Amino acid sequence: MSTVEGDLLHTVEAGSISASRRFWGRAALWLSALWFMASFVLQAVHELGWTDWGFANWRPVLYAYFIWAAVLCVTRVVIYGEAGKKALFVLPAALFVVSMVVFPLLFALWIGFSDWNLASSVGRRFNGLDNVRRMIADPFYANALLNMILYCLAIAVEYAIAFGLALLLNQEIIARKFWRVTFLVPLMLSPVAVSWMVGKSMLETRFGPIARLARWLGWENPSFFGDPLTARLSIMIMDAWTFIPFMMIMLLAGLQALSREVLEAAEVDGATKWQRFWQVIFPLMLPVSVTAVMIRIIFKLKLADIIITVTSGGPGGATDSVTSFIYREYRDRSNVGYGTLLALVYLVIIVVGMTGLMKIFDRIVKRMTGRL
Amino acid sequence: MKIEIYDALMRRQASRRDVLRGTASAAALLGLSGAMGGIAGTAFAADDLRAQILQIPGVGKGSPTDADWQKVGELCLGPTKANVKQGEFAGVELTFMGLNNQNLHNFLFRGFLKPWEAYTGAKINWIDLAQADYNARLQQSIATGTVDFDILEMGAPFEGDTAGRGLLDEMPDWAAKQVEADDLVSYLKPPVGTWDGKTYRVTIDGDCHTFAYRKDYFGEGSISGMAEPPKTWQDVNAASKALIGKTDPLTGQPAYGYLDPLKGWGGFGFYFIENRATAYAKYPGDPAWLFDPENMKPLVNNPAWVQAIQDVLDLIAAKAYPADQINADPGTTAFSQFLAGTGAMLMWWGDVGSSARTSDTSVVGDVVGFGINRGSNRVYNRKSGQWEDKYNEAPNMAYLGWGIYVTKRVSSDEKKRKAAWSAAAHLGGKDLSLWTSAYPSGFQPYRQSHFNYDEWEKAGYDRAYIEDYLGSNADSYNHPNAAIEPRIPGIFQYYSVAEDELAKGFAGQYKSAQETADAIAAAWEKITDQIGRDSQLKLYRASLGL
Repeated sequence: MSTVEGDLLHTVEAGSISASRRFWGRAALWLSALWFMASFVLQAVHELGWTDWGFANWRPVLYAYFIWAAVLCVTRVVIYGEAGKKALFVLPAALFVVSMVVFPLLFALWIGFSDWNLASSVGRRFNGLDNVRRMIADPFYANALLNMILYCLAIAVEYAIAFGLALLLNQEIIARKFWRVTFLVPLMLSPVAVSWMVGKSMLETRFGPIARLARWLGWENPSFFGDPLTARLSIMIMDAWTFIPFMMIMLLAGLQALSREVLEAAEVDGATKWQRFWQVIFPLMLPVSVTAVMIRIIFKLKLADIIITVTSGGPGGATDSVTSFIYREYRDRSNVGYGTLLALVYLVIIVVGMTGLMKIFDRIVKRMTGRL
Repeated sequence: MKIEIYDALMRRQASRRDVLRGTASAAALLGLSGAMGGIAGTAFAADDLRAQILQIPGVGKGSPTDADWQKVGELCLGPTKANVKQGEFAGVELTFMGLNNQNLHNFLFRGFLKPWEAYTGAKINWIDLAQADYNARLQQSIATGTVDFDILEMGAPFEGDTAGRGLLDEMPDWAAKQVEADDLVSYLKPPVGTWDGKTYRVTIDGDCHTFAYRKDYFGEGSISGMAEPPKTWQDVNAASKALIGKTDPLTGQPAYGYLDPLKGWGGFGFYFIENRATAYAKYPGDPAWLFDPENMKPLVNNPAWVQAIQDVLDLIAAKAYPADQINADPGTTAFSQFLAGTGAMLMWWGDVGSSARTSDTSVVGDVVGFGINRGSNRVYNRKSGQWEDKYNEAPNMAYLGWGIYVTKRVSSDEKKRKAAWSAAAHLGGKDLSLWTSAYPSGFQPYRQSHFNYDEWEKAGYDRAYIEDYLGSNADSYNHPNAAIEPRIPGIFQYYSVAEDELAKGFAGQYKSAQETADAIAAAWEKITDQIGRDSQLKLYRASLGL
């Protein structure tokens, strides 16, 4: 705030604001700020003893914050005149961001380092690094992280299938529009609906048609979700079935945007179909491909709905994604503190991982397109 | 109103207003005829009403529908009308949070309460929760102070979390009279439904797990090779193993023995390992079987509980379960498996008996038999730390029944408060409860008046079946060694974490039954410390009567 104030002070024309006006403006600002801080301290120390951080109990502090924010906006104009009006354009957004991003993040950090059971009337208790130690020693969380890597690796297969379908639908085939719409249907369904259609019906052990087919092929007691390996594969297949059309439609759009001259030139130069694909189409499609894959990775990192609906992370946590693991930690076990810490750590992993991945993809694109 | 009149009106597409007008006219005529010598008075007597509602739709006439629920709700409005004037709650809106699974619970409440809404003028908004979501939603509402419902369907185990925190409204005397609370079976009477001497609950259900089995699997020459159904859990496992590779005599599908649910169900799944454990762990004369009443240390990893877990692991290792049993929750075992003809034995709440005969999804109604929870030929004495070779049985009073509670949100508005309690009392009415006991509802018999076999016979049940079915409920309720669930805060957190660890153990993520049990015990210790050991110990002891 001091920086903003300093900047604003430099823009104010000397003598344009009266001293008394500035005094009362500053007085109102300080009073509201003091009220805000005092309500915070009183609420934390006297009323709640730093333990009970429910929204209802902190409502007075929230009101004080809003009043301070309103006074801050008004006093910008009172103290700085025209220059203050410029600040008004930014202030609401800044205050909103602080309210909706900074406060919740700090709050989450505090919860992440606390022990909080929903049934406890004691509320939250700061427990230092206990949750971190627990996370490091938790084999089921480690399993969920490994699963995420596995699930993300499956995107390579999804990409290959989607590219193939996009190439096919880019040809002059019979009923092309019909096929395009048909292939898009899974994308229009909710993943939960897919879970029921595919997971609960098609793969159902006793009456599901795929289970019957498996029995006919010699698998005596097919249980797609009973074994950790087949359960993971089934989850990956259901997720892929839902989202391959998404990659396909992006790649198809990319293919249709390709320059015909380049392709025709390659053909005239005598390039085979494979050469045309590998040395022209594929490199040209890399920027679109990277975008599609990156978006798909973001989707995949949030994978939870199919798992929760079909296996609840089972058998024995074998199919858990990090998101479903956190969800169950919070919902089923009421470990709010531990669950929050896992969510924060996952956020860091995602940010760092995605940044690294972007750099790698960037290099690959540059290297491959550089050949052209 | 007589059912024939109601049906005639419905056939003529009479509006709700017309129906109510007709009811009022009939009541006026009744009053008149009574004054003139009671010519038709007996047609409206309580016994007649009970007989009438038990014919809706009638045993063997398919599953009840929404029209049936409304019809029953309409016919059972008498006690409401005695306490509430028509249109008295006009403008009142209430939010009702309840369970919504297998087309039971909230589905029925909607139908039962439609006539109540039409008569009183109140409107109800519904919050429906699946079984697996119920506990978490309620716990979070309590913990975060965001109780956004006026009427709540809840089990007594949560009374510590809700009544203990001052979140509930005390039941008015008129509501207690309307529901005839004295009629409840003994184990559902206070302290159940009360906290600190105040009453908070309209009971709508009783809970105990009973044993259901297929008669065609046992007897001379049967595929199990057993002349009698299993008496102990040791027999249950032996029968299950003996059935491997056999064919079900009813469906022609592969035969299976006992159906353990190996997947959690929002904490409710833990009751099913309890069924095995109580036989081993509930020592006669010692009320404690979940925690040590001296220090609140979990008993869940003592040799008795480990044996219960080992029993399940043995059947998994023997491949005695259906192929995908690891993904079967209790709802699956009861409704998708047992009632649909898969499996020979099941532990479930008592209502599987009424569902077997009156639900369209059941194919086992003619071949199903009942009994109390199976026993054991040895029992663990936690005090001596020794196994004792003697027969022991301990029915599991799992959940203490669903009830209807009214929250503090309505306490300051007398009209709204009366409306909420009137709705609760309507759902907990004596006559309506007979119907919910006899038909698929999610509720089982829980009043002394539910054990009048003649009434059930008139509904279409045959005497032998009803004696078997109701007998298993009555024997469980009245058993001297019944395992009673403690009403302590956070009880479902204990259960949730336990079923989660069990699922890992059943999937082979832990090396042994002991390791699985130790994981549960460690998690329980943490919960006890989080909630507060001293307060938990005090409430636990009180719940055991110590």
